[in-house]
Amino acid sequence: MRVLRQALLLLRSELRQELRDFELLLTASFFTVVLLAMFYLSFASLQSKAHLAAIPGLMWLTIAFVGVLTLTRVFDREREADTLRALLAAPVERLAIYFAKAAMTLAVLMLCCMVLVPGLWLMFPAGAAFAEQPLATALLALLGCGGYVAIGALFAAGLATGAGKNTLLFIILYPLTTPVLMYALVTTRALLDHHPDLPSYLGQMAALDLILVSIAALLFETVLVGSGARSTSPKGQVPRTLSREPSA
Amino acid sequence: MSDERSVVSLRAISQRFGRQPVLRRVDLELLAGTIVGLVGANGAGKTTLFSIVAGLLQPDGGARWLFGAAADEVDTATRARMAYVAHAPQLYGALSARENLQLHADLRRVCGLPTRAADEVLTELGLPREAFDRPMSAHSRGMAQRVALARALAARPELLVLDEPFTALDAGGREQLAQVLLGERARGAAVLLSSHDLDTLTQICDRVVLLERGELGRSVDHEGDRAVFRERAAALWTGRAASAGSGPAGALAPAAVLC
Repeated sequence: MRVLRQALLLLRSELRQELRDFELLLTASFFTVVLLAMFYLSFASLQSKAHLAAIPGLMWLTIAFVGVLTLTRVFDREREADTLRALLAAPVERLAIYFAKAAMTLAVLMLCCMVLVPGLWLMFPAGAAFAEQPLATALLALLGCGGYVAIGALFAAGLATGAGKNTLLFIILYPLTTPVLMYALVTTRALLDHHPDLPSYLGQMAALDLILVSIAALLFETVLVGSGARSTSPKGQVPRTLSREPSA
Repeated sequence: MSDERSVVSLRAISQRFGRQPVLRRVDLELLAGTIVGLVGANGAGKTTLFSIVAGLLQPDGGARWLFGAAADEVDTATRARMAYVAHAPQLYGALSARENLQLHADLRRVCGLPTRAADEVLTELGLPREAFDRPMSAHSRGMAQRVALARALAARPELLVLDEPFTALDAGGREQLAQVLLGERARGAAVLLSSHDLDTLTQICDRVVLLERGELGRSVDHEGDRAVFRERAAALWTGRAASAGSGPAGALAPAAVLC
């Protein structure tokens, strides 16, 4: 309960900062629109059967790009003023930080989906299935983005203070999120095809998300304390080990 | 720990970054109701030592006790009893001074911990009232430092770890902070701070310790006369300067046990 309440406080602070400059929301939505325009110019001339195959890929490729952009920026805010260390030194549960960051990123990605999904529907006739099944579409977006964020927030936090972390995040995140994105892609195709097993697909995505959130929650403190330790070293040097002798 | 007043106790703490030793078998004892000042050249290891005390860094070797209990890891309950102010203010630029303090106060309240009112502590540290709601990005470095200190003091901690707290403060601000820290000591809090300002340090500290190349060397105690204390602390520092090119820090007196 304490974790949840602290997470909500941190999320409220994130939202308050975001509402001062709309940096994340503007960047994510503008980037989404640019990608949509590029997709339209590239694929509009294809037959509608090809659209059916292309739409899931376009959708989750966009989420992957916007997701890493958002994760980077969410943790950049903490790194710029070294505020993450202030949280680590305070009586704040590590998990609360994870849930707040993940929730903020998820909120931005859901907003991105609110631009992306109608955009795909308007640009490609095969995308009409999104409008025909709005609840399933919303659930699909939530579960797909949720799984992506569960892993992304974990590694973005771990790399938040390391030198060259942006590069590392791209290298680490894409391979690790591939299973989630592939699952989301297959489920999206099922939605567009009006597949009768769509609820089963969505259920499996929910189970996958639950597993990923559980793993991330278990690992987060280790990852974060490691990053906090790195950040304390002078001149950006990284401690060779975090091992310690037992207390005498 | 045998002494019930022990707030921080470090034994043979060592830390390396890569192949470079930053702290070498540092022993440190800090009691409640005392102020200890750490002096040392840039890169001597002060910030690393403070990070270990604050639980932000796990030492490579040695043992750490906080509030009389072994602290292999510094948990939430232990962090609730201390406050750390780093060299950088660590404040959200888009939030105001009041909002920054309020966030940390709310986070503490969730744990059932009392905090002082943000306005009261900001006023105590000399922040003008009209600056309370200004975004931190619009504040000067000195004002940001006051807010960072206010955030720490609002928690009424039993241990204050302050990394160069007088940085960027004007003369009035230094004096205000000095008075506030003396008040914290009178309240029973332990204060560990670093500074390059010997005058201010010797006005408020009970002991000044030299950290040189990762080793705690000589120290001087306040024994009643601040002017004498100032002279002895200056001599400590001058001795360090004289020894700088003449040999390893180990040539100094044995590592200090404070207070």
